[in-house]
Amino acid sequence: MIEQFGRAGFLLLFAVAFPLLPIVASVVLGVFKIRPRKPDPVKESIYECGMVPIGNAQVRYNVRYYVFGLLFVIFDVEAVFLYPWAVTYRQLGLYAFVEVVLFLGILFVGYAYAWRKGAMEWK
Amino acid sequence: MTEGLNFDYTVFIPEFLLLGLAAAIVALDLAYPAIRKQWLAYIAGCGLLATAGVSLAWIDVETNFADLVVVDNYLTYFRVFFMVIAAVVAFASADLVAQRLKHPGEYYGLIIVSTVGAIGMAGARELMTAYLSLELLSFSLYILVSYAKFDRRSNEAGMKYILLGAFSSAMFLYGMSLIYGITGTTYYSGIAAALGERATDFEWALLMGLVLMIAGIGFKIAAVPFHMWTPDAYEGAPVAVTAYLATTSKAAGFAFVLPLFSNAFQVVHDDWSWMLAGMAAATMILGNVVALQQRNIKRLMAYSSIGQVGYLLMGVAALSHASASALVLHLTGYMVSNLALFVVIIAWVHMNDSEEIADFRGMRERAPLLAGVLAGALFSLAGLPLFAGFVTKFILFQAATDDGYLWLAAIGVTTSVISLYYYLQVMREAFVSAPAEGAGPLPVPLLMRGLAVAMMLGVFYVGLYPQQLFDAIDNATRFLFV
Repeated sequence: MIEQFGRAGFLLLFAVAFPLLPIVASVVLGVFKIRPRKPDPVKESIYECGMVPIGNAQVRYNVRYYVFGLLFVIFDVEAVFLYPWAVTYRQLGLYAFVEVVLFLGILFVGYAYAWRKGAMEWK
Repeated sequence: MTEGLNFDYTVFIPEFLLLGLAAAIVALDLAYPAIRKQWLAYIAGCGLLATAGVSLAWIDVETNFADLVVVDNYLTYFRVFFMVIAAVVAFASADLVAQRLKHPGEYYGLIIVSTVGAIGMAGARELMTAYLSLELLSFSLYILVSYAKFDRRSNEAGMKYILLGAFSSAMFLYGMSLIYGITGTTYYSGIAAALGERATDFEWALLMGLVLMIAGIGFKIAAVPFHMWTPDAYEGAPVAVTAYLATTSKAAGFAFVLPLFSNAFQVVHDDWSWMLAGMAAATMILGNVVALQQRNIKRLMAYSSIGQVGYLLMGVAALSHASASALVLHLTGYMVSNLALFVVIIAWVHMNDSEEIADFRGMRERAPLLAGVLAGALFSLAGLPLFAGFVTKFILFQAATDDGYLWLAAIGVTTSVISLYYYLQVMREAFVSAPAEGAGPLPVPLLMRGLAVAMMLGVFYVGLYPQQLFDAIDNATRFLFV
């Protein structure tokens, strides 16, 4: 038991050391004046895959996206559930049909509720 | 695979009725926006009480649904228990929600849906079912805590609650997966059978699984050291939701823990009882001592509820039939007293717009009936004779002592004395301090007065004639130890 945890612990040590090593090396080499330090504005700017960064990264998103995202997820998951049902529909028969109609009915009520509450409007 | 399992959906009729009620209230609010919002509360409350009546049809019935949910007297007891609590909270929040909060339909809908979750926690005999019920309850509560949408404190409370709640759920799930890894099943009975055969093969994994599960549960019931969210969530939530948090969410935690530990983990009692005993001691001491310096009534109630969780955990640590009965009895007495107190707090805070304990001054002159109920409820929480708290605590401490936890009972008695001090602080403001200049008698709504008196009668019923109730509870918890 302990031995197995030990192997995972070794992996953990390696995972921590791997990113830490270059940082520590950079600092140590800087202290001994081996690493040159010549900053300029382009070097100090944020790395954006070669693009020139525009504006601040910490912008505020409109909360309305969240409502649309939520509605999308509901129908996305609905579609995921319908696929296995459609594939095995012939074997499952009437019982599964009724269950899916019930499932869609519940989702439809939720959809009508969101619509009535004005979740679809951008205001 | 599914041969021999009982797929009788009729055992869920009370839950179906509740979900229908919740949908109907939301639809009613949506279709008739002009309806007086108090009516939604009355419909919710009456519907809950009616469903509680319907669920009485399952008394002395023993059945199950696919071995996932067991319907017996234990579930029936907690069905009625949770529905009555939700009904009281719905009635008590009628004016508050109508005048201070938006979306009243969803408010009552969420209270009813969370009640279904709480019932599921009491009835589940399988880990995934229990977990889903737990999340149904928790998700409803996350929304309810942040229900005052334009109040920053409410948003903050909701944020803290959902983050720590999600964290604790994750720990609980991890614990569940470890237990599943050891035993190969998620059914309580299967876990007990597997642990009985080969518990010693996986001591470390079992210990980790138990620690993680107990930590997850500890968050939900707010036991020290997992209590940090409680005061903030209680303070930020609208006061009626605080009442609901302090009652149903706590009680559901214990209703879930009892079958879990008695059916699944009783065979390895020695592996976990010391954790719960330690938590009980820490919870009693910290909850009651920190409560001493609170100035806000909601924070005071939060620490008081943490202290009470300590007493209740004692019953879980000592787990036997006697201590389980004592635990449920104390839970019932505590909930009745807590609801009585919260009805007064809801009425007072709503009318005075202040949550400071100092602003309870002059309640005796301004609202004598509320002051009387406040006194009774506080005495009951502190555990003075005549009131519910004394009998139930006495039986609980006695049961713990019989099971060998004399030291826990000693801490319980000591901290009960400490609790008397801060409960009496509230009473001093209400009875001794003079009202503010120009503050006249308060027009307390008839409904709130009726609720306060009804709850007070409940406190006296538990305090003076506990025999009947105790027999009912003993009959209910018997099913956990067969």
